[in-house]
Amino acid sequence: MSRSRDAAEIPMQEPLTPAMFHVLLALADGEKHGYAILKEVARRTEGKVRLSAGTLYGIIKRLNAEDWIVESTKRPVAGLDDERRRYYRLTERGRRVAMNEARRLEELVAMARNKKLFSKPELA
Amino acid sequence: MNATQLPFSKRMFRALLRVLPADFRSDYGREMEHAFDDQEREARDRSGAVGVVRVWWETLAGIFTTAPREHWEMLQQDVGYALRTMRKNLGFTCLAVLTLALGIGANTAIFSVVHGVLLRPLPYPQGQQLVFIRQQAQKEGIDDTGFSVHEIEDYRQQNQSLAGLVEYHAMSFILYGHGDPDRVRTAVVSANYFDLFGVNPLMGRTFLPDDDKLGSPPVLVLSYEYWKNKFGADPDIVGKTFEMNDKVHTVVGVLPPVPQYPVESDVYMPTSACPFRSSKSMIDNRDMRMVEAFGRLKPGVSLSQAGADLATVAGRLKAEYPKSYPDSMGYSAITTALRDELTHEARPTLLVLLAAAAFVLLIACANVANLTLARMGQRERELAVRSALGAGRSRLLRQLLTESFLLALFGGVLGLVAAYSSLSLLTEFALRLTPRAHEIRIDFGVLAFTLIAALGTSIVFGTISALFSRINLSSGLKEGSSGAGAGQHRNRVRSVLIVSQIAFSFMLLIGAGLMLRSLYKLQQVNPGFVTQHVLAMRTTFSFSKYGTNEQFAEIVKKLLDRVQSEPGVVSAAVSSGYPLEPEVISAGSNAFSGPFRIQGRDLGPGEAPPIGGQFSVSPGYLQTLGIPLKEGRNFTDTDTPKSELVVMINEAMKRQFWPNEDPVGKRVSGDNGEHWATIIGVVGDVREFGLNHAPSPEFFLPESQGANPSALLIKTAAEPGSIARQITRAIHEVDPQAAVTHAMTLEQARYESMASPRVTTTLLGLFAALALLIAASGIGGIMALTVSQRVREIGIRIALGAQPSGILKMILGHGLLLASIGLAIGVAGALSLKGLVKSLLFGVAPADPVTFAVVAIVLGGAALLASYVPARRAASIDPIDALRME
Repeated sequence: MSRSRDAAEIPMQEPLTPAMFHVLLALADGEKHGYAILKEVARRTEGKVRLSAGTLYGIIKRLNAEDWIVESTKRPVAGLDDERRRYYRLTERGRRVAMNEARRLEELVAMARNKKLFSKPELA
Repeated sequence: MNATQLPFSKRMFRALLRVLPADFRSDYGREMEHAFDDQEREARDRSGAVGVVRVWWETLAGIFTTAPREHWEMLQQDVGYALRTMRKNLGFTCLAVLTLALGIGANTAIFSVVHGVLLRPLPYPQGQQLVFIRQQAQKEGIDDTGFSVHEIEDYRQQNQSLAGLVEYHAMSFILYGHGDPDRVRTAVVSANYFDLFGVNPLMGRTFLPDDDKLGSPPVLVLSYEYWKNKFGADPDIVGKTFEMNDKVHTVVGVLPPVPQYPVESDVYMPTSACPFRSSKSMIDNRDMRMVEAFGRLKPGVSLSQAGADLATVAGRLKAEYPKSYPDSMGYSAITTALRDELTHEARPTLLVLLAAAAFVLLIACANVANLTLARMGQRERELAVRSALGAGRSRLLRQLLTESFLLALFGGVLGLVAAYSSLSLLTEFALRLTPRAHEIRIDFGVLAFTLIAALGTSIVFGTISALFSRINLSSGLKEGSSGAGAGQHRNRVRSVLIVSQIAFSFMLLIGAGLMLRSLYKLQQVNPGFVTQHVLAMRTTFSFSKYGTNEQFAEIVKKLLDRVQSEPGVVSAAVSSGYPLEPEVISAGSNAFSGPFRIQGRDLGPGEAPPIGGQFSVSPGYLQTLGIPLKEGRNFTDTDTPKSELVVMINEAMKRQFWPNEDPVGKRVSGDNGEHWATIIGVVGDVREFGLNHAPSPEFFLPESQGANPSALLIKTAAEPGSIARQITRAIHEVDPQAAVTHAMTLEQARYESMASPRVTTTLLGLFAALALLIAASGIGGIMALTVSQRVREIGIRIALGAQPSGILKMILGHGLLLASIGLAIGVAGALSLKGLVKSLLFGVAPADPVTFAVVAIVLGGAALLASYVPARRAASIDPIDALRME
């Protein structure tokens, strides 16, 4: 499997767990606080993936430790800002990891398609 | 929605969060709470109670999968950090690990013995149902009279509480047909003996009911060890025949490797095959008691119920056969659990050793806590920095406990290795106390004990050091490593630890000192005979070949003549046993005792006849053993089976029965007046049954008129051990079929007889020496630290005119003060533990003032010596250097 130049900077990236990938995806379009991440994941997967507070913060801790996300210093405008909460955003490194993962999944899907495992191509 | 629901759910959630590590909670706890609140609220609004339950369920699952991962991650970090710290402080690490290894190793070793002997259930199916039944004559002080064949039958028929009752007795026979004649330890047992114990044969079969019938073909079952050692584990052994007691015996089976109680035997035979047990006089006479009884309780029957049941049977027999059970003897039947019966002798010794080992571990703990505290002084800055960088107090505590546990774990592993390597030595030691010693091994139970000991140890010394760190964490940055307030507190804690080390060391030293004094007293005991230059060996002739007294007297005479003609032999004798012979000691005086009558002294109604020990000896016995003849004459060759019956008595018997008259010429009978023997002499007392057993009344019968003796005793001119082979050859010239075994010098027998107290003393001494070493190094260490902390103060004192001798006295005084407090507590502790060692002592009181004084001087001296080096250093402090240091 070929690797992009970006991926080369993140050596030996293990496949992410679905939950971790979902959290990275949720942060891909801007910073969010924990509850917002939970809601975003549930919304995007139509409730198929539901993270709990217990799982989410274990993931946040690990992503934080890997330096894939950081606590954001930028807060939403007053009125929309919930002061009790911490906001997280994707780092450049985190974005690349998410991209790598997306590519990996894409390649997997392509392989599955070659093997004619898709009855309806439009699903991809 | 009910308003009171919310706080409750919040409380629940907060409680749930506590399963997560504290650091994680402090980082994310509040946020998690908010997120959960929002999730719960939304779920309630959308789906009501069902939604709430779902959120709770998902949260629970989430937290319980996150928590172990977080804890594991933290543990890995802590262990990694701890290992790095330990590597950096290799000296401290080695010292701590070694100290703990000694403590844990000593405990593991002793516990493996205690576990194998006292705690583990008997290795038989439902072993707790097995009982030992003993007939006692309490009023005569006879602990175990044994049972007669009639009695075994009566108890078997009449009891209501036992699922089975079997008999057992041990004999020595000669087995022919496999190389040299072999004297085999033979257990004569009921046919259902192995069924009762639940033992299935490894090969062939055990006994069948028909084997027990008189006249049935003799059969043998071999023990596993005998089969392996003597027959090289011959797979075709079943069916082979051997000659024994003039009859052909067929091997029908081999036992599996099971522990054998009450003693190890080489072969087993059914009662019908034993010529003594199957003799008419034995079977017909209710008073011929020679066998032991084992039973198995019926399911649901307790030991006390069985005891009451068998006591009822005893009462019934007494009423039915009053002549056999005179009131004055106080006959009764006692039931004990087999496990207790086998271990009651070992229990006190093992408990003392276990307590001693526990003391060593406590002292080791105190010492490592002290070392750790000393190191804490140096680590305060590191801990304070970590704390300032965000590590919470619980995080640091956890870190310190991890370090403690790793130290204890390494100590435990090393201790386990030490315990494992001492196992064979300990087994040999325990064998002198209990037949269960073969069951000693390091198994899961012992491993669990070691792990718990290591864990407990790390908690004890880890908590002490962590507790201290808690007090001092905030002051570390401000005050530096010699923070005054915390330093003082730490020194107080350390002083308490030192005092406790001294107190425990004192108690251990007292235990060892008392045992040592007791052993010394035992060694000083005059055994009543000369042990030097005497060789003893068991020489057994086929009793069927020399069945009559005349035949036996003749072969004995031939034997003695032949042996005495050997170069280097001064004199020789035969006897039924010799003093301090291991078999004689383990059989005990009861086995050699019997009732007798004195002519002219009639027994009152219900009065029991007196009891005396009986030994059958040849004329050379007194000379060979150096036993003095006090009155009358010795046996001579003219005392033959046909001449007048004669006996000699010992002084103990004279003192008891003829205190104020000359016993020589008086007549006694051992068979209730059927035959009377004349007392011809009085000999000196001999401690036959152990140096700690006072001599009891004894008879000596001439070998030509008494039972056939099998111990051959030879007084030699040179070292006796070297001529054993020469003597064996000489014996085989007289009779090639004689079995010669158990060659041993009397010096060896005497040495062996003290083996148990000697090993106990050695172990206690070893523990005490360890304790002394640890305590002394501890006190030296704290004094050195105190001096280094007080360099400035001492410098100022000297600058202000204090004399170095005054400084020396001050530091020594401090050391002595700690030692004195420790000694005072130690004295109180040792006095309160008096009862524990009492049963192990001989000729020494447990509060022996000499021992207490000597131990106090030794320990005080060691403390003084340990304080002297740092005190010298303090006295030589240069005030200018001291002030410059600051």
